[in-house]
Amino acid sequence: MSNSDHTQGSLQLTDLSKYFGEFCAVNKVSLEIQKGEFLTLLGPSGSGKTTLLMMIAGFVDITSGDIALDGTTIVDIPAEKRNFGMVFQGYALFPHMTVRDNIGYALSVRKRPAKEITERVDEMLELVQLQDFANRKPNQLSGGQQQRVALARALCFAPPVLLLDEPLGALDKKLRVEVQQQLKDIHKHVGTTFIYVTHDQEEALSMSDRIVIMRDGAIEQVGSPYDLYEHPATEFSASFLGKSNFLRRPDGLYALRPEKIDIRAAGNGGEPARLTGAIKSITYFGSMQRIIVSIPDGDELEVDIDSWRNQDPLHEGQQVDMLWQDIAAVKLAEG
Amino acid sequence: MKPGFFSQFNRIGAWVLLLFLVTPALIAIPVSLTTKRFLSMPKGNYSLRHFEKLFSSPEWISSFFQSATIGLSTSLLATILGTLCAIGLWRVSSKYSEVVRAFLLLPLIIPQIISAMAFYRLWIPMGLLDSYLGLILAHTILATPLVLITVSASLANFDPKLEQASKNLGASNWTTMRRVILPSVRPGVFAGALFAFILSWDEIVVTLFISKFNVYTLPRRMWNGIRENTDPTVAAAAVVLIAITLIAFVVSAIVSRRQSEQTST
Repeated sequence: MSNSDHTQGSLQLTDLSKYFGEFCAVNKVSLEIQKGEFLTLLGPSGSGKTTLLMMIAGFVDITSGDIALDGTTIVDIPAEKRNFGMVFQGYALFPHMTVRDNIGYALSVRKRPAKEITERVDEMLELVQLQDFANRKPNQLSGGQQQRVALARALCFAPPVLLLDEPLGALDKKLRVEVQQQLKDIHKHVGTTFIYVTHDQEEALSMSDRIVIMRDGAIEQVGSPYDLYEHPATEFSASFLGKSNFLRRPDGLYALRPEKIDIRAAGNGGEPARLTGAIKSITYFGSMQRIIVSIPDGDELEVDIDSWRNQDPLHEGQQVDMLWQDIAAVKLAEG
Repeated sequence: MKPGFFSQFNRIGAWVLLLFLVTPALIAIPVSLTTKRFLSMPKGNYSLRHFEKLFSSPEWISSFFQSATIGLSTSLLATILGTLCAIGLWRVSSKYSEVVRAFLLLPLIIPQIISAMAFYRLWIPMGLLDSYLGLILAHTILATPLVLITVSASLANFDPKLEQASKNLGASNWTTMRRVILPSVRPGVFAGALFAFILSWDEIVVTLFISKFNVYTLPRRMWNGIRENTDPTVAAAAVVLIAITLIAFVVSAIVSRRQSEQTST
C-alpha cells in the first residue's frame, strides 16, 4: 500500500514566530524537516510545541517567518487546502459517523467515487486492524481503537505530512507502549513525514528519528535520541530528556546520568573514588534500584544500578565510593 | 438507613410542588368528561359528548388546523432563523456578539402584552392584521429567541476540535457546517423547534390583538368559548391541546435520548 507519492513531504520553517498580544508563544524557530522523517517536538506544557504544530496545520496564523513545503511557501494556504493529515489530542472523531465514514471523510469531501472510497477505507481499516469495527460509532470503541481510527482517518487521503498532537495522552501506560510500536510500524510502512508533539520523553526517545527539545517557545536542542541523551547541550536538555546529576567544577557545569555512575562500599580498594558520600535512601523498582547519596558539599547525587548487581546489598546510612568514566560527564553550555 | 426528617421533608415538598404545578392543567380532564352543558366537575356520571361535539364542529376543527398550520410554520421559520443566528454568534464570538445576543433575547423579556401592542401598531400599515402571515411572523419573532437559546446551549458543548478536524481533512466551511456542526447540534435544533411550536400553539395574547375574523386559532376559540358561554367543549379542547403538547414532548425526549446515545463518548 503506497501512501504519499514520496515526492513531497519536506518542510522548512524559517524564523517562525507567534505572538499572542505581548506573549511570545513561538520564538524564531528555524527547522528543516526531512521527507519521511519521524520528528518529535518535545517540551513541557507552555513550551510552544502545540502552537508550532497548529501553525504548520494552518489553524494558528503566524506573526512572522515562513513555512514552506518542499521549498514552496504555504503560509497563505488555508488549513483545509494544506492537505496535511492530523491526529488531534482527544482524537476529535465525528461522533455521529461510523468508523467507516470517519475514515472516508477526507475522500468523500474531495468527491471521489464511492468505489474508490470503499476500497481505500478497507485498506486503512486493515492497516490499523479495525476491519471488524467499520460500522461502529466512535463511542462504541475503546480509547486505543479510537486512536487508531483517528490515525487511519488522517492517513486515508495520503497526506505528505502527518501532524500528531499528543495522540497517546489519553491512553493508559501499558497500552501506550503497545501503540508506540504500532505507530512506528505504520510510519515505516507509509513513509509519510510524521511531526509528533509530546511532553513524554520516553515516547520521544523510543519513536523518533530526531527530537526537537522546546523551551519557552524556542528550540533548545535538536538531534537524534542518542545524541540528545548522550550529549545534552544545556542543563534544561539534560534534565528534561532523561535524568541527570549536575556537577559544578572549576571549568564549568557537567551533566552525569545516574546509570553511568558505579557505586561500591567505601574503602574497597581498586580504582580511587571520584566522590564519596553516605547513602540517604534506596528505592527498589524491580529491575533497577535508585540510590540517593548525600555528598560532603551538601548536594545529593542520584545513582541508578541494576538490581542484580546489588547482591551484597548496600544499605541506608552506608559510606560509599562513586566512580565513572571521563566521557560519562558531559560539559554543558551555560547561558 | 431510615431517611432523616430533612430528606423526607424534601421529598414531600417536591411532590406538593409538582401537584401545585400540574393540577390546574389536569383539572381540564375531569371537567371535559362532565355530562352537564356548562363547565362543572362530573358527579359520578361521565360522558364523551363534549369531545364528540369538539370533533364534529366545523369551527373547532377549522381552528385546530389553523393553529397547527401557524404553529408548524412558526416552528420552521423560527428554527431556521434561530439556528443560523446561534451559529453566527458562536462563530463571531466577541463581546459585541454577546450584546447582539442580549438584544435578540429581548422578545422573551418584554411582556407579551407590550409586544402585542407593537405588532398591532406595526401590522396595520403593513396590511398584515388578521392574516396568517401576520400571525406567523409575530409568533416567529417571539419564538426565535427560544431556538437561539437551545441551539447555543448545544454549541457550547460542541468540541471545536471537530471543526478543525473537518477542515484539516479538506472540508470547506459550508461542508463542515452541513456534515459536522449541524449534526452535532441537532438535539438543540429539535428542542428549539419543539419550543417554538408550543409557543405558537398556545399563544393567546398577541393572537387576540392581531387576529379578528380570518384567523381563529384554537386558544382564541377557547378564550371566546369561555367568555361567551361556559361550554365544556372548551375543556375538551384543552385536553386535546395538552395531549398534543405532551406527545410533542415525548417524541422530542425519545429523539434526543437516541441522539445522546449516538454522540456521547
